[in-house]
Amino acid sequence: MAKVHEITVWARGVIMDKEGRDVINIFAKAAQMDGKHAQAFDNYEDLPDRVLVTVRKYVRLSDKEIEHKYVYTNDQPEVVVIAEATIVKGIDILRGMKKGGTLIINTNRSIDSMLKFIPNAKLLGTIATVDADGITGVRTVDFSGSEGGVDTSGIGKGIAAPLCGAIAKVTGLIKKEHLAKIVSDVSGMERGYKGVKVKKLN
Amino acid sequence: MAKEQMMTGCRAAAEGAKAAEVEVICSYPIRPYTAIMMELAKMVANGELNAEFVHGEGEHAQLSVTLGASASGARAFTGSSGVGVTYAMEVYSPMAGGRYPAQMSIADRTLDPPGDFGSEHTDAMSTRDQGWLLGWACSPQEVYDNTLINYRVGEDHRVMLPQMVCQDGYFISHIPDKVTLGDRSQVKEFLPPYRPIGPLSLTHPVSHGPQIRPDQGAPMDAMRAQTFLAVPKVIEEATADFNRIFGRNYDPFLEQYKLGDAEIAFCIMGAHANTCRTSVDRLRKKGVKAGMARLRWVRPWPTHQLANALGHVKAVGVVETSTSYGGAMRGGNLIHEVRASLYDLDKRPLVTSFMAGLGGETIWPADFDYMAKVLAEMVKEKKTKNYVYWIGM
Amino acid sequence: MAKELPGYGTINVPKDREVPFGAVTPAPVCTQNLFQTSNWRIVRPVKDDEKCTRCLICYLSCPDACWIYQEKEDVMEWVAGFCKGCQICINECPTGALTAAPELDFPDGVIRLEKPF
Repeated sequence: MAKVHEITVWARGVIMDKEGRDVINIFAKAAQMDGKHAQAFDNYEDLPDRVLVTVRKYVRLSDKEIEHKYVYTNDQPEVVVIAEATIVKGIDILRGMKKGGTLIINTNRSIDSMLKFIPNAKLLGTIATVDADGITGVRTVDFSGSEGGVDTSGIGKGIAAPLCGAIAKVTGLIKKEHLAKIVSDVSGMERGYKGVKVKKLN
Repeated sequence: MAKEQMMTGCRAAAEGAKAAEVEVICSYPIRPYTAIMMELAKMVANGELNAEFVHGEGEHAQLSVTLGASASGARAFTGSSGVGVTYAMEVYSPMAGGRYPAQMSIADRTLDPPGDFGSEHTDAMSTRDQGWLLGWACSPQEVYDNTLINYRVGEDHRVMLPQMVCQDGYFISHIPDKVTLGDRSQVKEFLPPYRPIGPLSLTHPVSHGPQIRPDQGAPMDAMRAQTFLAVPKVIEEATADFNRIFGRNYDPFLEQYKLGDAEIAFCIMGAHANTCRTSVDRLRKKGVKAGMARLRWVRPWPTHQLANALGHVKAVGVVETSTSYGGAMRGGNLIHEVRASLYDLDKRPLVTSFMAGLGGETIWPADFDYMAKVLAEMVKEKKTKNYVYWIGM
Repeated sequence: MAKELPGYGTINVPKDREVPFGAVTPAPVCTQNLFQTSNWRIVRPVKDDEKCTRCLICYLSCPDACWIYQEKEDVMEWVAGFCKGCQICINECPTGALTAAPELDFPDGVIRLEKPF
């Protein structure tokens, strides 16, 4: 069975639920444009209708057809994306990660100040920060689309666009050219791509 | 040619209802089917679908509104999950007996207690005696297809029965997969408009559901049973038409996967059949002659088709994701009808059942390996040791 | 003549997966440590004791009961473990003694969970 890359996106309920979902949908679409097989879905148990609760969204990526489709969580995430920086303080976001994984955080604080909050940072190979809030200035786009319903305002209008640009730059799992065709806010995506700060650890 | 999109099962059900141009939709929120109604509400608000969207005050009200709409001659659509399905229990028999071909799109959820919203088939299976057509889909594409096929079969004048189109909650309803929607000309060719028989009308007044004498009860029941004798032929015609128009390849009743020379077989229903299919492939590579029969329809039950498909197999394992406490096999409810279908064969396969995927748990490929091992032991010892095995317990 | 009929098998629920009888669970009386919502917040209230008049409006308006009046020391005590950062107390304080500060400015105060609930 071909390797399945697991990417987990952490966001907060109601105010950025759609942003988290945008990141995974953009990611999956870009990967499919590349000829890869991808699955993108919300975590079912996270009940995102509670304001500010931590929620998870998942992308699973593979070169061949994904054989095992029905999982509830990404047990071994390779890439963890944090859409709201305070989440690193309150949850073990690197749980299950194998050594050498990647962490991308939406913040304008320094990487070292973020590392202080992560006790098991030795699992990381790469850590990156991008100031998506500063780039777009828009945190909540709208409240639509939970429960498998339809997102109304178009994909990639808020912080999702610079976050996806950052993911493309840091991990190389998706290509910037495909992203430009998918997101609504192409300049935000470009600025996220250029403005991401990367630090290699361990 | 329509292009392939990634779509969840909920969205596919809503697209199916939109393609069928339903006229009355009655909603009440319950996770996980609630996204179907969210999608339909959006379509109605945007003007893409010209339908009356009614909010019920509970699932019983939901089904009652649907009954009234269908009785007046509208193509009606509703849905529910879990305990919502059982809340509306009173209305199912009047709808089936009154011959109102409305459709109910069910995304499975466990029944309380406690409030688990994982997928189990017990909610819709517990209504199987009420006289509705009942079937399960194993992918969002099949949900869309079944929505159209069920309207065609249900509204055929030889049938005129309400239908339940079921899908697993979360696995099918919330995880997107590739779906190709039909275009308008294809749907128009496949699905004719609804022509009711004896609808409520101001110009031709009729009474629906009057009181009857006891001696009229038995003939009424017998006539409803006669209908179910006619349904399989309508299903075969409709599926053949669907395959021709939309370019699919559905077997009308059972998806038979590598059963031709199989020695052990899984009989399964719903989303976990996808994992079963890949497990059958894996077992075959290891030299085990495994096969799978996936049920697409539970009502009408494909008795002869199952007997013909599984008759040559040595051991059958029925994989159940529903419970029937205290039942004859102390396990689920599919096992009884599978055993009954195979009873009259000259050479009967050994049959047992596996309770797996309960509470909405994933069934792992390793679980299917364990089931294959149990079935192989049964074949070797030539007897069924237990009626039921609980996976993981 | 009496062929040995199949049995019903055995059902052994693993100990670590057992659920209470009938799903009846004890209800918390005061505080509990199952649903610690401290990691929901993005900002936290910071108190200025000079401006605080001990009017108890923050204690009354907090939906999570995260302000306690300590009588002996005559101060308001903030409960870090459950505050969700809703900022109702900051809005309601009549003297402006409460201000919002980003949670990331402080090294501790959040109970770090293994998994979300």
